[in-house]
Amino acid sequence: MDGIVELQRQLVEYTTSLYDEGFLDDQFIQLQQLQDESNPDFVVEVVSLFFEDSQRLLNELANSLEQQSLDFRRVDAHVHQLKGSSSSIGAQRVQGACIMFRNYCEVQNVEGCLKCLQHVKNEYSLVKSKLETLFKLEQQVLAAGGTIPMP
Amino acid sequence: MGSLLKRISSRVSVFAKSWGKSAFTESRRTFHRDVEQEDIEYAGARCLSSYYTVFVARLAIMVMLAILIGMLTLLTWHFTRVYTKKSLSTLAYGLRYELLQRPILRMWNIFNSTVEITTAQVKLSEYVIRRYSKPVNQAQQVELYEVMRDVTWALFASRRALNSITINYRNGFVQAFHRDHRSNNTFYIYSDLANYSIGGSYAINSLSSHRGWNDQSVHNNMSAIWYREPLDPITGEKTGKSGPIPPDDLINIAGISQVPDGAASWHVAVSKYSDSPLLSAALPVWDSSRESIVAVVGVTTALYSVGQLMKELVGFHSGHIYLTSQEGWLLSTSTNTPLLMNSTTGPKLMMAVDSEDHVIRAGAQLLKKAYGNKFPANHEVHIENAMIRNKLYYIDSFFLNLKRLPMVGVIIIPRKYIMGKVDERAFKTLVALISAAVCILVIGCVCIFILTNGVSKEMKLRAELISHLDARRKAEASSNYKSQFLANMSHELRTPMAAVIGLLDILICDDFLTNEQYATVTQIRRCSTALLRLLNDILDLSKVESGKLVLEEAEFDLGGELEGLIDMFSVQCINHNVETILDLSDDMPKVLQGDSARVVQIFANLISNSIKFTTSGYIILRGWCENMNTPCTTSKPWSAPKTKLKRQGSNHKRSNKKDSNMILWFEVEDTGCGIDPSKWESVFESFEQADPSTTRLHGGTGLGLCIVRTLVNKMGGEIKVVKKNGPGTLMQLYLLLSAPVDRTGECCRLKFAEHDLTILLALNGGMCRLIMSRWLLKNGVQTFDVSEWNELTQILQELFQAGNYVQDAPIGGSQSESVSTNDTRASIFIIVIDIGLLDLRTDIWREQLSFLDSFCGRVKFAWILNHDTSKTIKMELRSKGHFLTVNRPLYNAKLIQIMEAVIQESNLELQKKMDSLRSSEVGGDMHEYLEIDPLHSDAESSNSYMSEMDSSRNIRALQTGQRQQEHLYYPYQSKHGAVGNCFVELTEVYAKENESSVNDPAQIMSNLHKKVKLEEHNLATSCSSEQGSLCSKMATNGQKSLEGLRILLAEDTPVLQRVATIMLEKMGATVVVVGDGLQAVDALQVMLTADESVEEFHLEDDNARIQSRTCDSPSFDLILMDCQMPKMDGYEATKVIRRSELGTSLHVPIVALTAHAMSSDEAKCLDVGMDAYLTKPIDCKLMVSTILLLTKRTT
Repeated sequence: MDGIVELQRQLVEYTTSLYDEGFLDDQFIQLQQLQDESNPDFVVEVVSLFFEDSQRLLNELANSLEQQSLDFRRVDAHVHQLKGSSSSIGAQRVQGACIMFRNYCEVQNVEGCLKCLQHVKNEYSLVKSKLETLFKLEQQVLAAGGTIPMP
Repeated sequence: MGSLLKRISSRVSVFAKSWGKSAFTESRRTFHRDVEQEDIEYAGARCLSSYYTVFVARLAIMVMLAILIGMLTLLTWHFTRVYTKKSLSTLAYGLRYELLQRPILRMWNIFNSTVEITTAQVKLSEYVIRRYSKPVNQAQQVELYEVMRDVTWALFASRRALNSITINYRNGFVQAFHRDHRSNNTFYIYSDLANYSIGGSYAINSLSSHRGWNDQSVHNNMSAIWYREPLDPITGEKTGKSGPIPPDDLINIAGISQVPDGAASWHVAVSKYSDSPLLSAALPVWDSSRESIVAVVGVTTALYSVGQLMKELVGFHSGHIYLTSQEGWLLSTSTNTPLLMNSTTGPKLMMAVDSEDHVIRAGAQLLKKAYGNKFPANHEVHIENAMIRNKLYYIDSFFLNLKRLPMVGVIIIPRKYIMGKVDERAFKTLVALISAAVCILVIGCVCIFILTNGVSKEMKLRAELISHLDARRKAEASSNYKSQFLANMSHELRTPMAAVIGLLDILICDDFLTNEQYATVTQIRRCSTALLRLLNDILDLSKVESGKLVLEEAEFDLGGELEGLIDMFSVQCINHNVETILDLSDDMPKVLQGDSARVVQIFANLISNSIKFTTSGYIILRGWCENMNTPCTTSKPWSAPKTKLKRQGSNHKRSNKKDSNMILWFEVEDTGCGIDPSKWESVFESFEQADPSTTRLHGGTGLGLCIVRTLVNKMGGEIKVVKKNGPGTLMQLYLLLSAPVDRTGECCRLKFAEHDLTILLALNGGMCRLIMSRWLLKNGVQTFDVSEWNELTQILQELFQAGNYVQDAPIGGSQSESVSTNDTRASIFIIVIDIGLLDLRTDIWREQLSFLDSFCGRVKFAWILNHDTSKTIKMELRSKGHFLTVNRPLYNAKLIQIMEAVIQESNLELQKKMDSLRSSEVGGDMHEYLEIDPLHSDAESSNSYMSEMDSSRNIRALQTGQRQQEHLYYPYQSKHGAVGNCFVELTEVYAKENESSVNDPAQIMSNLHKKVKLEEHNLATSCSSEQGSLCSKMATNGQKSLEGLRILLAEDTPVLQRVATIMLEKMGATVVVVGDGLQAVDALQVMLTADESVEEFHLEDDNARIQSRTCDSPSFDLILMDCQMPKMDGYEATKVIRRSELGTSLHVPIVALTAHAMSSDEAKCLDVGMDAYLTKPIDCKLMVSTILLLTKRTT
């Protein structure tokens, strides 16, 4: 029982740290609220959707930016999409990076775009690992028979 | 050529510049100043270059003009001068020729006459000599000589120009007449006859005679004596004695030597007695047989007359003429200089080059230099512009080829004489032309300058315009950045705020909250709403600034709004030790027509401003009313401008018919640091703060008062700072609002006086107490006021121990209870006591409470709690039976509420007593009743603040309800007990309201339905009223609120797709997801084709719409449309859908989903035909309320 409590405490601390460090915002809470008996894996599902979508978008971004004649509108559309999906799951640091990226797109700054792409990638992988850890913790808690404390 | 032209033009321009600077300083100074000014003004701008182009063009035109005029001038001058000169020089040549010709003619005449005379003499001599060819004797000889003398005299006298005539006979005898022109004497010269043999051999033999006849014989005949006798020049009579003179002394006697070959000879001779050369001609006189020469006749003529003529000629023309022989000997000049040179051998002819007259000498030298000694024969020489002694002369020479005496005539005429006038004229003409040209040039330049000045001004203006446009474009760009920034910021800020509010809503819905927690949470909720509204207001500021703000026209309860506002601010103020007081006069209308949100915004800004600068003291919001329809009699601190009001009144004429315009006056007074009088006007400017240091101390943007003034002006009012006694600020404003006529009369004046109330105000805040007691007194309520505990105890003891003030009432009541309840309306004593009066730090407050308890029964207690009053105290109060509690701050409405409650309680008590008397039943459920008020006050203070006005209405409804259905009400209350749930209460109230007055919910709806954010409440109330059942929870109420709706979601991002789907499905909606706009359009097209069946359904039974939804028809109730999607974006898709809907009665509501939070995006969305607008990330509640609003509207 203590183990569960400890795990739960860990989870809560970890989650709080994610909020405090700005990886996630309240949109994520909304997501978690949407999860119920009818959709038991809703958060994981959405987040993995996000991972897939973001990976695709990042690849496309990298491809577009490598091309000789840069189509900034295309890049901008991709970034916009990424921004939308990241804001929807509450990954606000990725979202912030996307906003910066779009600014560079608007002024057609190739170097800035490349820098931003790197930045977005970093933020993305960070949030990905964080979220994966979070889910792992949740799994552990569930496996131990506890409930996931709602924020 | 080109470079040359360039150089010339540059020269000219340089010249023009320097000339322009130097010559025209006066007239051009202004221009120059202008130019300099412009240079300064527009330096660095592109107009400078345009200015230079204008300048260059102007200069070029000027230069061209200058060249043109210069050429014109030169040509004019040249032609006039050249032709004049040519004709003049032709004339001059003629003149010169003429001048020279005349002396030559004279010379010729002289020659001729000399020759004639000579010839005549010779002929006569021949005749006479032949007559006396053979002189036989002396007498004959003498006779011959006499005859000869007479003949010669005759000839001599006939020609006055003759100098002398000589006859030299073969025998050496000489006869001569001589005329001295200087002394005008005439002499007859003859040789002594005695020396000559009469029969002198006139040798026939010519040769021998020739030999014997030489000059020697004459000249060397020294022995011969010559006589001279003076003659009368006219008659030839002898006038004097003849005297001997040496031979050859006077005159040249032409001898045989001069006619060596017997032909006539010429030569120029000089004479001792004549200063001019003489022309002498000699002819031999032959004998009859023409074999020998018998005599030689010589005639000399002075050239003096030629010189005289020349002098005359030249004297008029001021020149010089001279004649020379071919060798250069000077024969005659026009000057008086001697022509002869005195040498040792006698006078000699002079060369022209040696002439004493310098002009002649120089001229001769010039000619000699040019042509040498040999004068070109038959050549005329013309030298023009010969420079002699720095003067120009014309020199012309003519050759006169006389036989034996070729002559050269030279005329030297100063150029000045002929050309002087011409040159002068030419010079004058030139000067005149040049000055005229210069004048024309200057005028032309000025004209050009003036003409082009307009052009350059226009160019300048254009440049200015361009720069202005540029600046404006920049400004617009920067304003775009600003709005972008605002959009981003609002987005970033609204997201967390939405979360906070949402979480609070969740918390409010929690069942396990205690009342206090609940109150706190609702307070937070209210503050958050205010904050969110503030954020929206910041976004609105741009609207306000651009004048796009439109005020709503809706009915609202001003009092309720302001009470809520004061409640909200009081929480802040308690920490500041500042009282917030609301003092609204009773004549304020309950319901007003206007934009409640903006009115509240005005006061929120003003009060928050006051709070910011007030550290201790109080803040009062006063309000009173002045009906426009009734003439105002009360004196105002500053008179409202009547004209403006009238204008406003005319604007409101439409509404005037059923509404009455009111001028609502408000004052916000505080005891803060105050505003310096010099800043009273400027504090209302944007970004203006009275003291720059306030930003440091208190923060703030300085926008608040600006917004306030804009809004006040928009509402037809004015605001200004008014002088105040004591420290602090007093802001006074009036608003022009209209109140519905049917409501204004309703302004109920409470008749507390009837109830004989006495109120003891035991309050900390002095100002609040003062205002309250004043108000109560005005309403006929007796008041006491105390400010601290000791005072309270003292006054209580005084009142109850000494006077038995209240005890009378129950006693009296009990005594007369059976008589009549109405008549025994006892005087009610209420103590309104601030919890702060108790000493809460220690446990003394319990003792104090128990002290107060001793008065329980005789007095009614109403407690004023702080929002942070601890639960133990509240519990204790409740356990002691003090149920009448209100939260700070106290204002009229709360006091009314307290009083009404007390009055009703006492009424009830009386009734119960009567009942108990009747049925001997003790009313034990009094507590239940008393709990109503705490619950209400809780509900009122804790409910979100728009519903504040509902609560006041609740009270009214309660009142009416209580009056009508007391019996129904109480059992219900007792059922629920003390566990307070505001929503239960509220919905109960609404249910009641529905029963009591049917209009009220509709009114609430109309008040609220514009505020999407408050839609939840609307939802709750409408739901409850619709269903007619009690909804226990708002959340549960909303959870399945989308039941049965079919929603099409067009969203390309899978994550969002999923999230939105789950959200909607949780609410009970059926969601169809498509990936882009094209699919959305397709999906809808299917719906449209299949729609006819649905239409039929509708026609069949209108009520069956829910059933028709749930059946499998592919119709959608609503579309959620992402704006940015691949293939076809949301805007395009909406346009297509709306176009396809044309002609049908359908209108599928479309809600935009966008990541931008700008109002411009919203405008764009609404522009293409969307119905509403949601920002990402999706706020669940907002989405639900929006969807509900739209689906309800369309169905």
